[in-house]
Amino acid sequence: MNVACGADYAGAVTIRRLCKSFGTTPVLRGIDLTVGAGSIVCLMGKSGGGKSTLLRCLNLLEQPSEGSIAIGAQTIFDGVSRLSVREVVALRQHVGMIFQSFHLFPHLTAAENVILAQTVAKRVARGAALERALRLLVTVGLSHRATAYPRQMSGGEQQRTAIARALATGPTVLLCDEPTSALDPESTRDVLNVLRALAHQGMTMLVATHELSFAREVADRIIFIDGGQIVEDGRPDQVIDHPEQPRTREFFEHVRRRIDGPLLK
Amino acid sequence: MYNPFHVDWPHYLPDIATGIRWTIEFTVVSFVLAAVWGLILALARGSRLPPVRWFSYGYTELFKNVPIITEIFIIYYGLGQVGLTLGTFSAGVLSLALFYGAYLAEIYRGALLSVPETQKEASAALGFTSFQITRHVVLPQAVRVALPGTATMLVDLLKTTSLLITIAASELMNQAQTIASETFRPMEVYIVIGAIYFVMCFPLSRLTLLIEHKLAAGVALSPMRRRTLRAIRRHNAVVDAAGAR
Repeated sequence: MNVACGADYAGAVTIRRLCKSFGTTPVLRGIDLTVGAGSIVCLMGKSGGGKSTLLRCLNLLEQPSEGSIAIGAQTIFDGVSRLSVREVVALRQHVGMIFQSFHLFPHLTAAENVILAQTVAKRVARGAALERALRLLVTVGLSHRATAYPRQMSGGEQQRTAIARALATGPTVLLCDEPTSALDPESTRDVLNVLRALAHQGMTMLVATHELSFAREVADRIIFIDGGQIVEDGRPDQVIDHPEQPRTREFFEHVRRRIDGPLLK
Repeated sequence: MYNPFHVDWPHYLPDIATGIRWTIEFTVVSFVLAAVWGLILALARGSRLPPVRWFSYGYTELFKNVPIITEIFIIYYGLGQVGLTLGTFSAGVLSLALFYGAYLAEIYRGALLSVPETQKEASAALGFTSFQITRHVVLPQAVRVALPGTATMLVDLLKTTSLLITIAASELMNQAQTIASETFRPMEVYIVIGAIYFVMCFPLSRLTLLIEHKLAAGVALSPMRRRTLRAIRRHNAVVDAAGAR
């Protein structure tokens, strides 16, 4: 596939006719999507619609079945050849990921989580890794929690640490898989503020989320995914307020009902 | 005044010292071998090759379900009969290592399985290779889980060295028997010997409990982590001081 390790991952994320099946069950059915460098795309849609799987294909945590994916100038999947282990490792340092349940290393403190990402994956010297880790913790507002263990932190603090950890390898693309779905409203706000700041700094981001206000305010585009296909693709106000497809309309009505509904009153 | 101690203990001190020395040697050598063998068996249990997995499973079950004394006799007397004569020390160490290897394998396997798949996934997403994942993410977490069970096995192994009396190893229990038969005071002798076993085992149990508590409290045990944590605190203190000014 002719991919060099120090290769150029800066640029658009280009997905063509991407399919993924688990066994005989198709989960992604021909996704075509180009995400320009520095743009923020929110993936919305019902659980099980394929949002997570799409994100996980982009750093090859899942091996796609068909189609192609390129990050910048690098083809990372073309359905023919496979990346070598070294190439996959290089790819993942350029494409960071945030998980719904954080997945911090529980045996290490916040700062050490961020340090390990550098010393192991990028072989950064400990001193330099420590400096950078503490700077990253400042940017996510957690310098005072540097020596806290994950179990001593709130969900929001854990997720912000996870963001710092993902940024530690210097990615150009950040994949966020429902980053606030496990959080209370206050933590959600803190995490979204951090993501918003990243967006303004030019990070390319694909965010699977149910947060309407975040999507409306931060996203350049909203992709509505259902049944493994892109049903609707457009500016936030278009997709949320004036969806063309009945499936999209139904979904957003449902989401709005849940927000305005008696549950939160 | 009634003196319950009639045995001339100072006279037997060298014998007891020899017994303690052998008991410790049997314990240390057997435990190190059992720990390594147990780790190999535990990793074999997760192997991609079915025969390797079956061997590990069969071995573990076999040794868990046969009394160790039977095993000692097979290795010392049985192998001797078919021409493979082992010395007392080799036979003793081999028996203990093979037996406790099976138990430690079970403990290690449980500990390795206790690390969630999501931990491996999160580290893979950071660009860790599978070796780095095992080394930096899985093993450090598994060790914490395996520690209590492993420590229990160490104490158990130390006590079990007393069974080597049956193959005339010169460990503590054997010395006790000699002293008892010379003095005709088994009650006194075995109580004293029991106390010596207790004095050896109890601190071990306490020590491992202490390590567990420290780990649970988040105390870094490796010097490198201690240095890192100190550096973080120092750095933050400097930043705080600068901020206060």
